[in-house]
Amino acid sequence: MTAGLNLVLVASAALFAIGAVALLVKRSVIVMLIGSQLMLTAGGLAFVAFSRFGLGWVNTNRGPAVAFVAGTVGVAELAIGAAMAVIIYREHQTFLADEYESVAG
Amino acid sequence: MNIEIESLAVLLKGTVPHSLTDQPAVLIIYVLLVVIIGAALASVILRNVVFAIASFAVTMAAVAFVYLMLAPFLLFAVQLLLFTTISAGLLLGLLRTTTGLTPAPTSPFGSELIGGAAVGAALFALIGVVVGATNWPVKVSGGPMEGLAGTLAGTYLVGLAVLVVLVASAALGAGLLATQRLGRRPPAAASAAAPRRSPRPGRSGTNR
Repeated sequence: MTAGLNLVLVASAALFAIGAVALLVKRSVIVMLIGSQLMLTAGGLAFVAFSRFGLGWVNTNRGPAVAFVAGTVGVAELAIGAAMAVIIYREHQTFLADEYESVAG
Repeated sequence: MNIEIESLAVLLKGTVPHSLTDQPAVLIIYVLLVVIIGAALASVILRNVVFAIASFAVTMAAVAFVYLMLAPFLLFAVQLLLFTTISAGLLLGLLRTTTGLTPAPTSPFGSELIGGAAVGAALFALIGVVVGATNWPVKVSGGPMEGLAGTLAGTYLVGLAVLVVLVASAALGAGLLATQRLGRRPPAAASAAAPRRSPRPGRSGTNR
């Protein structure tokens, strides 16, 4: 039994698909934020896998560096999304995204 | 086996690496990946939002431990201590500031979820086909190993500074959300300002 690039990439793809489902199907803003985080984390995991198993030593630290950037951007995106959700919740008293149609107006 | 691969960006020289064969490490990797997928599924399916956030935190922590086995220690520490903590703190603070911690009354398995699962499965299959059909460049071992911190502080110094500002902002927001309770409007005033309406006829506005 071995663990290589394909194993981690498959797990990363599954994580990305779960995040996409959460983002597309769920109506709760909180679950949608979780889904976007899962997708970004899946991307970081794939980059780490490529740096560990895929690319040459020249790029050994670049995959983790990209994962670092992706995680940071994800946290910042989550902070902005949470702040927006709080503001919108004060107007609509709900987290259901379907109820936010009048936000643009 | 010595190989020499010329890519568009760099010339790769060295030996073809092997996958992880150390049985304890392989077993741990498998367990961690199963935990990641299971916890991610739970975070999407669970009706109780607090449990969903806890599952999400478990996913992030398991990813951190995968990083520990595959990547520099710094990434593990940042993933576990910063990303996981701040993300869970933000989501819990969001809940604490707004609705409280009530579970949704509806079933987690609806027609929309089944359709979305089909879309997710198609996406997963597409990525799997791409992964399987692509001849990825192989890793080349040997050569100088620079630490991740050195790479970030050298090659990506400006990017690191921007990231520090982003993380600090996110941490500040998480702290504010977790500690500050925003004033709520009275229900009458809120409903007068923003009348609730169901966007889809015949569908209730349950917290799914």
